[in-house]
Amino acid sequence: MKYLPLIWTAVMRKPARTILTLLSVTVAFTLFGLMIGLNATFDLVANRARADRIFTGPRFGNALGTGMPIAIARQIAAMPGVKVVTAVNFIPGYVQDPKNPAFLVMLDDNAEKVVEDWPIPPEVWSAIRKDRTGIVMSKNQAARWHKKVGDNFTMISKAVKRADGKNSWTFKVLAIGDDIAEQTNGYMFGNYDYIDKAKPLADQGKVNEIDLLATDPATATELAQRIDRTFANSATPLQTTTDKMARSGKDFNGLDVKAITHGIALAGMFMVLFLTGNGIAESVRERFAEFATLKTLGFSDRAVTALVVLEAALPCVVGAALGVAVAGFLAGQIPALMPPGFGLPLPTISPMVMLWAAVSAFAVALLSAALPIARLTRMDIASALSGRA
Amino acid sequence: MLRQIWIVSVLNFKSLTSRFWQSMVIVVGLAATIGVMLSMLSLATGMRQAYYNAGDPGRAIVVSKGADQEGQSAITRAMAPMIAVAPGIAKDTDGKPLADRGLNMGIPVLRKDGSRGQTTMRGLAEKGQGVRPELKIVAGRMFERGKRELIAGTGAQNLYQHMQIGDKVILPDGEWPIVGVFATGDLLEGQLLGDTETLLTATHKTNYNSVLVRLASQNSLPAFKNALTRNSALSVTVERHSDWYKRVASEQTFGLALLGYIVGAVMAIGALFGCLNTMYSAVSTRGREIATLRALGYGAFPVAVSVILEAVVLSISGAIIGGAIAWALYDGKQDVFGGMIFHLSVSPAQFELGVIWAGAVALLGGLFPSIRAARRPVVEALRAT
Repeated sequence: MKYLPLIWTAVMRKPARTILTLLSVTVAFTLFGLMIGLNATFDLVANRARADRIFTGPRFGNALGTGMPIAIARQIAAMPGVKVVTAVNFIPGYVQDPKNPAFLVMLDDNAEKVVEDWPIPPEVWSAIRKDRTGIVMSKNQAARWHKKVGDNFTMISKAVKRADGKNSWTFKVLAIGDDIAEQTNGYMFGNYDYIDKAKPLADQGKVNEIDLLATDPATATELAQRIDRTFANSATPLQTTTDKMARSGKDFNGLDVKAITHGIALAGMFMVLFLTGNGIAESVRERFAEFATLKTLGFSDRAVTALVVLEAALPCVVGAALGVAVAGFLAGQIPALMPPGFGLPLPTISPMVMLWAAVSAFAVALLSAALPIARLTRMDIASALSGRA
Repeated sequence: MLRQIWIVSVLNFKSLTSRFWQSMVIVVGLAATIGVMLSMLSLATGMRQAYYNAGDPGRAIVVSKGADQEGQSAITRAMAPMIAVAPGIAKDTDGKPLADRGLNMGIPVLRKDGSRGQTTMRGLAEKGQGVRPELKIVAGRMFERGKRELIAGTGAQNLYQHMQIGDKVILPDGEWPIVGVFATGDLLEGQLLGDTETLLTATHKTNYNSVLVRLASQNSLPAFKNALTRNSALSVTVERHSDWYKRVASEQTFGLALLGYIVGAVMAIGALFGCLNTMYSAVSTRGREIATLRALGYGAFPVAVSVILEAVVLSISGAIIGGAIAWALYDGKQDVFGGMIFHLSVSPAQFELGVIWAGAVALLGGLFPSIRAARRPVVEALRAT
């Protein structure tokens, strides 16, 4: 503690240098927080994915098109090892202008059991069942369309027509739900039964996706393969995957998220390492005689080392804390910046991210301080004091 | 004046060696910034290039009215022959118009890294190869018309599993073998091709997605377009193939490019603070030298210019190093994003952009230190230790 004033004086000797270094470190750690936070989100989603949940849909062709016969859902429900099956329809479209794409998912009565981990309270599920033109929006979507509970929401869908031939669909917002990390664009869902009956007769009884739970998570992979095999030679071959399989990979559209985020975070650290290393070296060089005085006064090598490390660590640690805080703030702004539907998950500033930021900040400080410390421990006090060193 | 700037700057650069590590802060900062930015942009740039390559200005694409993707478009069996007889279409050696009824649908693939993806399966009809002369079979053979078989692009073969000749692709009512491998030099290389009519039957579809025609000449588009839009039996949009892909490219690569620019901008801000720091300290360590020059009669302006010049040279060399690293690592590497296979690209234009960014950072980072250098009273600077 008694060193604190010493360190503070050292740091504030050249305030401009300290502040600029701090700002640079803050920016680097903002990037670090966003990148490692993005990674953390992928981990979170992978950990939360359920082993017993299975998704299936038409193997080829446009999944957003007319879909597959609902009879398939009944066939799957009758297969051994299946606990509960839910049929899902999509309404892809836009609001007012094709530039504002919107996507509505229509769920049937069993959905509540299949996606029981969604943050949707039972009364909302029953409200959707009762009010057939009602929908639930996530906070993200509600903010995007400026909707609150009770508002009407109208979207145009070229793919899904109504029985009267029109393609405009109006719903009432019944509830606004919490967002889910894996639904990166937010979500909106309504009543499957309603859309099925509202479509022209020829399009009724078609579904875009079938989701189910296996009775035993251990057999889910085998069940998924069995489903694919059963329908492989039918008119509608299926593409089936478990939730776990679909979300365990760290890829965003085929990009290796881990490698990219780590690379960028590392480049940022490398950039500040030069800056902080140079700063501390310069600071020690300028005060070489002062350090000689400290040593004359009886400061051990260890104490001097501590002083230098702490001086180097101060801007790194403060910058890391600020940077991660800024990253946490910016993470919430990303959806507004990126084009709708881009689907990049939001970075999560988890305790793990903070820990890694702290570790990296100390690593940068230690590396920066290494050379000056080596110089100080080897210093010849007499010549340093006389200014000949 | 210029002479003064020259002399002061030369003096500056000669003293750089004594400030080597300090200067490296700027070089490394900009190398990291521009290296990361160009690496990220190589995705969007490469993808855009693959789209541009696919769009031949000598072709026109016909889709149903208002569709801006092939997948959204439906051309009925009745409409297709009406399109093929319109004026402005080049004729094949057999005298028939070079108009190809195309089919376009998504199909799941397993990438080589084990992740699941989606690619496009296209149908080509009789005139498919005539309209697309860039299509070359590089292994095996072309699919036969009327047969349930496919050919795979070279990119698909490189980056997806189960794309070798003899492998089977699951389609409705049975599997289709891959009988050949093709190259086109554009985005089609990441896709699968089969016979339009056979695919149409197998997938229980009733409509084509598009009609692609080879224009009689690049100037015959207006005539072709007029004929189709005036025909009340058709409700279609006609676009030059190159314009079509230019629009698709900008839509599809916007998000990725934006991401690259955002990361680049954040790093540039970090590098800017580093640059300011270095230049301030350079100006202060050279305080006496600058004051001496001023005392000898050199103006404040040449001194200021020399400071900025130093920042610019250091930043731009950093940018070139960073760009070179990005180029060496990624340029030309085949990669996949979503359903697209393309070659990453760090182009000269991207390099230029990197250098401009670095120059901007240097101007901002050198400006205030240069003002301080120029304004500092000579006497005070000479007295300072």
